[in-house]
Amino acid sequence: MTWMAPRTVAEAVRLKAEWPEATLVAGGTFVGILTRQGLLASDDWISLQDVRELRELSTGSELALGAMVTHRRIELDPGVAAGWPGVRQVFAAVASPRVRNAATIGGVLGDADYASDPPAMLIALDAWVEALSVRGLRRVPVADLIVGHYRTSLEEDELITRVLVPRGRHHVTFRKLRTRSREDRPCVAVAASLHEGRVSVVVGAVAERPQRFPDLCATWDPADGASAGEIAAGYADRIDPIGDNRGSAAYRTGMIAVEVRRALDTLAPAALTAQAAGR
Amino acid sequence: MTDPRIRASMRYPNDLTVPGMWHARLVRSPYAAARVVGIDTSLVPQDVVVLTPSEVEPLGGYGCQISDQHVLAGVARHVGDPVVAVAAADEATAREAAGLVEVGYEELSAVFDERDALRAGAPLVHDTHAVSDGDAAYFGLRPLEGTNVCHRFRIRTAGLPQGEPYTADPEPDDHADGFEAAQVIVDETFRMPAAQHVAMEPHACVAGWRDGRLEVTTGTQTPFNLRQDLARLFGLPDTDVRVVCPPMGGSFGAKTFVRTEAIAAAVARRLDRPVRLALDREEEFVTLTRHAATVRVRLGATRDGRFVAKRVWCWVNTGAYADCGPGVAMKMGYAGVGPYRFDHVAVDSFCVYTNLPPAGAFRGYGAAQSVWASERVTDLMAAELGIDPVELRRRNLLVDGDRFCTGETMHDVHFQELLDDAARAVDWRPGGDNRGKGVAVMLKGMQTPSRAEVDLRRVGDGRFEVLSGTAEMGQGAAQAIARLAADLLGVDADQVEVPPPDTDRVPYDTRTTSSRSTHMMGRALEAAVEDLKNGGGDYGHGRVVNEGGLDVDTGQGIASSHWHQGAAAAAVEVDDETGLLTLRSVHAASYAGRVVDRAAAELQQEGSMTMAIGTTLFEELTFDQGHVVGPNLSDYNIPSALDCAAVSQTLLEVEGAEVHGLGETALPPVPPAIGNALATLGYRPTELPLTPERVLGCAEDAS
Amino acid sequence: MNLLLQVNGAPVQVDVEPGVMLLEVLRDRLGLLGARGACGVGLCGTCTVLLDGEPISSCILLAPLAQSHTITTIEGVPDDDPVVRAFDRHHAFQCGYCIPGMVLTARSLLAECARARRSPSREQIAESLGGNLCRCGCYVKIIDAVQEVGS
Repeated sequence: MTWMAPRTVAEAVRLKAEWPEATLVAGGTFVGILTRQGLLASDDWISLQDVRELRELSTGSELALGAMVTHRRIELDPGVAAGWPGVRQVFAAVASPRVRNAATIGGVLGDADYASDPPAMLIALDAWVEALSVRGLRRVPVADLIVGHYRTSLEEDELITRVLVPRGRHHVTFRKLRTRSREDRPCVAVAASLHEGRVSVVVGAVAERPQRFPDLCATWDPADGASAGEIAAGYADRIDPIGDNRGSAAYRTGMIAVEVRRALDTLAPAALTAQAAGR
Repeated sequence: MTDPRIRASMRYPNDLTVPGMWHARLVRSPYAAARVVGIDTSLVPQDVVVLTPSEVEPLGGYGCQISDQHVLAGVARHVGDPVVAVAAADEATAREAAGLVEVGYEELSAVFDERDALRAGAPLVHDTHAVSDGDAAYFGLRPLEGTNVCHRFRIRTAGLPQGEPYTADPEPDDHADGFEAAQVIVDETFRMPAAQHVAMEPHACVAGWRDGRLEVTTGTQTPFNLRQDLARLFGLPDTDVRVVCPPMGGSFGAKTFVRTEAIAAAVARRLDRPVRLALDREEEFVTLTRHAATVRVRLGATRDGRFVAKRVWCWVNTGAYADCGPGVAMKMGYAGVGPYRFDHVAVDSFCVYTNLPPAGAFRGYGAAQSVWASERVTDLMAAELGIDPVELRRRNLLVDGDRFCTGETMHDVHFQELLDDAARAVDWRPGGDNRGKGVAVMLKGMQTPSRAEVDLRRVGDGRFEVLSGTAEMGQGAAQAIARLAADLLGVDADQVEVPPPDTDRVPYDTRTTSSRSTHMMGRALEAAVEDLKNGGGDYGHGRVVNEGGLDVDTGQGIASSHWHQGAAAAAVEVDDETGLLTLRSVHAASYAGRVVDRAAAELQQEGSMTMAIGTTLFEELTFDQGHVVGPNLSDYNIPSALDCAAVSQTLLEVEGAEVHGLGETALPPVPPAIGNALATLGYRPTELPLTPERVLGCAEDAS
Repeated sequence: MNLLLQVNGAPVQVDVEPGVMLLEVLRDRLGLLGARGACGVGLCGTCTVLLDGEPISSCILLAPLAQSHTITTIEGVPDDDPVVRAFDRHHAFQCGYCIPGMVLTARSLLAECARARRSPSREQIAESLGGNLCRCGCYVKIIDAVQEVGS
């Protein structure tokens, strides 16, 4: 059994290429759960714990989050709160502070868990990831990252190094419908963001991957009382949701229609103000 | 010195390690019903020991009320039924080895629903039903051979005929059930699903043999029942089995009767070394559950709100093994009548086998399931009659001197005050607008008959030792007993030690269930202190028995020497689009008689209410072909700190009264209080839990 | 592999397989039984220990990840600690299984509040403790105790 702890990103991707069977360990949460449950028995591990670059957080024309930055740090960072309220809100919504102390942004995207909160918001904010391998750096929109049930579009030897979120999306809302305990994973989650007169609505936790329909979003007229409901009904119609302990597929369909409409209604005043201001 | 539980200065059964001990792991059936046809251990390492059903078959069967279980199952009757045990020097090896045992099964037909199990064509989970002769089978048992009914409990007030032996689909007979004088009848069927105790500490025991004696250290609420069952299994006199019970990390009924101990003892005997058997969280879900139950209540009243007759049917899903299901069915039966006067009462409560994991003791012990139904029906009747729900109850509540449906005379009755307190807590407007508010009131029995004995010893230095079989599971039993003894002896509580139960040292006690211990041990202590004072001051023994019992065919007699009485009220809001129910407040009022330890009593109330919130809003075990869906704490939610913000409580005390147990009283009335509150907002809830989806599904104008 | 861990202020060396969790190291190798395993998926909080003062789930933390951090278990909290005393005064426990996790999490919250010079509200305390499950249902008294220390 080998535990590798590279110190640089370059070394990390090199090791990943040389040890294709090795398990990559970021914050360790997901890997820890799988190992403990006996679903993962790894002989070799590549830990990112010592790669300092991956813990960097910078705010400039875009928000740059190293893959190893924890949910908790994102939640508490004043720069993030000031410039990227949607990012702050969604990371703060995950589970409990204790879970947020260990969970990382790279981990939550790499795990592609359908019930995770951050992916839906990051998609609504037009975020993208940088994925590095020995073959070079790729930029992948988060919208194209999660492709199926716990599956990403990353190559086997690719590593998420950074997540970048563009500036200027101050009018955001994140709705998390929990049907049981307030600590429960969501039944339906909706992230919506306004930018330059357009709204981006993403529904999470209902299917293998977050669901976004730009063509429906484009029809939104915040001044028309019925518009939000129509878009919401469109989302509900197009999504084929799962059923689980949190709600049946039929219930989720009904709630998609409710929650998307409510998200749009929340953003309507800001949208109207922006329209009035001619932006 | 702060309490040792805060900084982990004490040890739980799960912490116990013994030099030289081996670790056992279980291989469990993946089928709900299957015969074991072959066991292949060729892949198991040489140094791992394997125990199979045929090796333990000579031990025979066991079961606290019906003898229907074997140490390992040659015929698996539920998913998760232990079929093979492996043991190794370390846990990791044992765990891996368990995965290497290959078991061949011949699948059999299975049944899962408590009423389907009584309908034509249902497979029999057990071919015969042998009544146990242990102490826990303390009441008349009526298994129906050739059916899946392992016990049927019946109440018939004077003059009412017995009726058919069993049914899944009763046809009400108003003549037979005494409904002729009823001008208005409400008839509705309710369901409460199975649930999981989720004690934070999983089951764990260490068993070892010493000089032909079996010694078991385990978490259990029933040390003497366990001792007796193990003794009979291994062909020993009771005194050759020793059960030691350290304080548990919660139990709520899960750690009762035989759980892991028989298997651990059998493996230990085979190995001739101590064996530890500890369960994972996932295994907890197939070890013991709360009885799912369908309860139908038919209530008849006069137009001016006087209750005339009540007809109750309970189908109690006891799963693959009866465990104490018969007792639960009995208690569910009479709790479902409620604390009211009737001219006629007929109850049939069927304890039914299915191929689900076994159900057993769970806080509330059957009362929660039937009180849910009964108190919802009270409100349905109030709505039908156009009478305020609190007022309707007032007109019919039992008072001192009234007879309960069992014929026993009620004394020390406080239902009225408890109901009034609960109503006040939600600012109930008599005859006014109480939308969003609901109340409930109930009675629950205490184990009757039962016996408690206690030894009291002076141990020098002004200190005393109380030897009591009461088990500590967080309810503060040891503390309460110390305080009671100290008060009687006239010393400080910290001069009294109450060591954990060790059946080699403590005298007999029926068991720590049914919220009986503070009451019964309190009385036994009074006798012991009296005995000590009369006998020279160094030693005293106290023995107290509460007599009673019910005729198994008529339900007449004394159900409970002493009743747990409680009421609850709730104020709720509903989001009509999502069905999300918000609790604005929940209040429970319980009759305490005399409070021994105020903080501990409040905690018991708060704990019961918190558990009730889980039961009402989201706790539910669902099954797929007998498999538990999502046997983990992510998929099965229990209440967190954020789920019970608005609870409040009253402990009703009366000068000079006896101590009343409080371990469960605040649980059963809470779900119907919440359900009744919801019903005022245009919903007709019958099934728990009231998840948002279910709420929408029971909207009265649902299309 | 050889691990050097800082546990309750003292350095400790253990030799473990890399795939072992910190919980097992604490319980089985170091005899620190205050951290417990109850759910196996890092949700219930009974395995909580502090890593550099912040609560984490030790049952799903691969032990090597705990190196170069300070680890605090309940055994490292003194008996006269204000939070411990408050739990005792309020009788904020029943079976006790979840309490070490509660105490450690509360201490972390209160340290953060002290740094920010604020007192936590009941809702904030409940949120901070939301990931610590207590089946006995002691939440009301636990929040009472933490609120008292925080005021």
